[in-house]
Amino acid sequence: MSKKILVVDDSKTALMMEREIVERRTTYQCVTASDGQEAVEKALQEHPDLVLMDVVMPRMNGFEACKRMRQQPGTREIPIVLVTTRGEESYMEAGFQSGCNDYITKPVDSAELVALLQSYLGE
Amino acid sequence: MNGDKNSASANKSTGAVMNDLRLEAARKRLSESRSQEDAIEGLREIVANFLGSEEIGLFKVERRTATFQVYWSFGIDVENYDLVRALGEAGLQRVMRGECHVVRPDRDYSGAMVKVQAYIPIRFANQTVAILAILRLLPQKVAFDKSDMELFKLLSDEAAKPLFGSGVHSTPVVDGPGMRT
Repeated sequence: MSKKILVVDDSKTALMMEREIVERRTTYQCVTASDGQEAVEKALQEHPDLVLMDVVMPRMNGFEACKRMRQQPGTREIPIVLVTTRGEESYMEAGFQSGCNDYITKPVDSAELVALLQSYLGE
Repeated sequence: MNGDKNSASANKSTGAVMNDLRLEAARKRLSESRSQEDAIEGLREIVANFLGSEEIGLFKVERRTATFQVYWSFGIDVENYDLVRALGEAGLQRVMRGECHVVRPDRDYSGAMVKVQAYIPIRFANQTVAILAILRLLPQKVAFDKSDMELFKLLSDEAAKPLFGSGVHSTPVVDGPGMRT
């Protein structure tokens, strides 16, 4: 059974691109959410093997969603990779404090993203 | 035939495949816009996610007054910047003819009030109907590359209709010389 990635972004463009990368360049399945709150709900329902999540989103941002997932027994252990336009060290530090495992910046380098996903999930 | 096609596809570099995906996503985002507002949001998303900038100005060419009007901006107070003037007369003429103008990072910006990184003509029916100015790049984005030029071309060719809707038909057809900025 193939591994499952939950891709979270409020940008339809980013969501479309990240989904295409996952589905065409890896063997993983993809489920999507468009904000942090939906991501927390989907993570509980879908039990993804990894969450790839934007930071700046309406309703609930990526940092808060990350914290919530870390508090829930069902989602505590899922690797979370945050994706954002903000590459400053302080911002990345805030990401790690929220409980993410990794952090990549936009524009996403597709090869780098695939390599990162494979480093967590295998090929 | 199919075998050849598959083989060609398999030989395509990962970078080229990824670039195709990016172009496809951008095209789909623009063409599937539900309204002009949604198209503008799509344009912002494309520039932020694929081109690496969150400072954008869109100027519509105004035929009757031979001027440029700010149509929309993001991340900048566009009233404070004379972005189109910074392009210069020769540059403006080239953009009005349909060429993208990309500023090299080492270029002297003398006379320019702000550092616009690229001017992209938005074309409709062989006319430039608007100019998209992309300003400061995100720190992690060093410069535009070859694949970005393909995305510029796509925006130039395909963004007008979603952005301006039926209003694109009434947009100006004045070319370069004589335009006031």
